[in-house]
Amino acid sequence: MIDSLRSLSEKTITVNRNQYLKVAGSIDTNIYFIESGSLRIFVLNDDDEQVIRFGYKENLIVALDSFLSNRPSGLFIQAIKKTVVRVINKVQFNALLKDETVKELWIKTLENLIIQQHEREIDLLTSSPKKRYESVMKRSPKLFQEIPEKHIANYLRMSAETLSRLKKS
Amino acid sequence: MESEKLIQTLIEQTRQNMNAVENLKELDTGYLNSRLSENSWSILECIEHLNLYGDFYLPALEKNIQKSTTIPSSDFNTGFLGNYFANSMLPKPGSKMKTFKDKDPIYTDLNRAVIDNFINQQIKLLKLIELSRSKNLNSIRIPISITTLIKLKLGDTFRFLINHNIRHIHQIETIKSHLPQVLTHQI
Repeated sequence: MIDSLRSLSEKTITVNRNQYLKVAGSIDTNIYFIESGSLRIFVLNDDDEQVIRFGYKENLIVALDSFLSNRPSGLFIQAIKKTVVRVINKVQFNALLKDETVKELWIKTLENLIIQQHEREIDLLTSSPKKRYESVMKRSPKLFQEIPEKHIANYLRMSAETLSRLKKS
Repeated sequence: MESEKLIQTLIEQTRQNMNAVENLKELDTGYLNSRLSENSWSILECIEHLNLYGDFYLPALEKNIQKSTTIPSSDFNTGFLGNYFANSMLPKPGSKMKTFKDKDPIYTDLNRAVIDNFINQQIKLLKLIELSRSKNLNSIRIPISITTLIKLKLGDTFRFLINHNIRHIHQIETIKSHLPQVLTHQI
């Protein structure tokens, strides 16, 4: 699935550290395949940033609300470090979906995504910071190698100090 | 033009302005404070000049958008004066503009915080653009900074403000291309 998506792409974008691939209010229906680097998706809660997702090398990153609805999205997508993405637009993607095998894979991918979102929802409702940390550690150990701790702490809704203490214990 | 098209253009231009300014964070403070001649602005002074305009326009925009009970119209028709002001902001070779004294930050001893201020102002601006999707870009009017007697259409005020940002970000690129490279310190 990822390989066929990647081969569709005719365009790459380089975003430097802290630059924005997408800002709040835009309609972005592209799928981005991350060749190198890492990105975070966040929303603004009053004036505070809340990270909702990360993407790093060989992941796909999408403003899922815009992608599915063609409507404006409040998400920001920002590079954590210098990042190169391949762009697959929705027209290219829809053409690919005409293939039954690809379509089945896409449904599988969406199913997996729902499971992940479900786990994430439970995590966020888990009151113990320790349990939230352990759950993410178990689910995506690679996250801790790819993403700076201050962003993971935000993602886990805890202070950087709390996360650092949990990692040591 | 279609209102939604204008909104999307304004958002995309603002994204590009933010990205240009995010790149400046990689440069050291000495470089950001250097000037090409005694009377010309440093990079930080260019940004601060934009922030001074933001300090005026963002609250004015917010107040007038929030109190408005208008409904969106599918088209935006630029006003005669608004279009003139907005277009006159775009960078053109050799076009110098007079700076009002209260918007001139020269020799005001600036630090890197002006970069963060600019980014925060742009995030605020994005919120206001988004808010305007549910209001009328034609009938809401915003007074300009030099006199409350002249009011521009909301859509034109956004265009004016964002083109003004583009103008000085272009000026920063010119400064960078003329400053000695040795001062550049890429982290």
